[in-house]
Amino acid sequence: MLLRELAEKNRCKFVDSVESWEEAIRKSCEPLVAEGILDESYAEEIIDTVKRMGPYIVIVPGVAIPHCMENAGGAHGTAISFMKLETPVSFDDEDPDKSASIFFTLSSVNTQEHLKNMKQLFKMLTNEDLLAELMQVKCPEDLIRLDEKYM
Amino acid sequence: MAKLLVACVNGAGTSLMMKMTVEKVAKELNLNVTKIHHCSLAEGKSTATQYDIVFCPQSFIHMYKDAIEKGVDVVGLRNVLSAAEVKQKLIESGLAEKYKK
Repeated sequence: MLLRELAEKNRCKFVDSVESWEEAIRKSCEPLVAEGILDESYAEEIIDTVKRMGPYIVIVPGVAIPHCMENAGGAHGTAISFMKLETPVSFDDEDPDKSASIFFTLSSVNTQEHLKNMKQLFKMLTNEDLLAELMQVKCPEDLIRLDEKYM
Repeated sequence: MAKLLVACVNGAGTSLMMKMTVEKVAKELNLNVTKIHHCSLAEGKSTATQYDIVFCPQSFIHMYKDAIEKGVDVVGLRNVLSAAEVKQKLIESGLAEKYKK
């Protein structure tokens, strides 16, 4: 469901490598910025918060969920976008668990819709087989294929 | 009966994930949970003492020093999606037994 939607709505991005985790966060927001769901300032707020609080958005090794508070400034819709980095980026050089190659960027202005999104995301992130395959995706068609296989 | 709080930085992403993990484990361990609330660390800091158990990522546990001193059980999690970790910590701390239905 969610993976298919990400592919069909063009809310996904496949990138070889980035210079820094900051660049990764800006890029991960781009599909939603292009749709007008996020302002560019949203990425900067995430970056500021990670600098203050640490890389808590890397929720399991390899996977980041960049997000701000609900109804944060710069968010105009409830949505998720996906980004895959071919080369993982490090958020903390001293902790290899805090590297990420998969990004699910979250935007929320509607609690109920957001909860629905998060339930789907939770189901995906707690499925180790799906997660292992997700680490290998290269194009939107791969997302659709995984959606059909797992969801 | 236990009232649970899950808290992370924004109260919108990670804390929701943690809430789903905790809900799953509470069911598995047959705990008598009357309420699970998720919120931001800042909100949690001022309301923590109204709860029996507070969950937060391990790296933020220092923010709940006051609550711990006042007798609230605060559980820090390395992996907020790991039901196995939540389960293990609730059992080892005796909380699973204390709040069993």
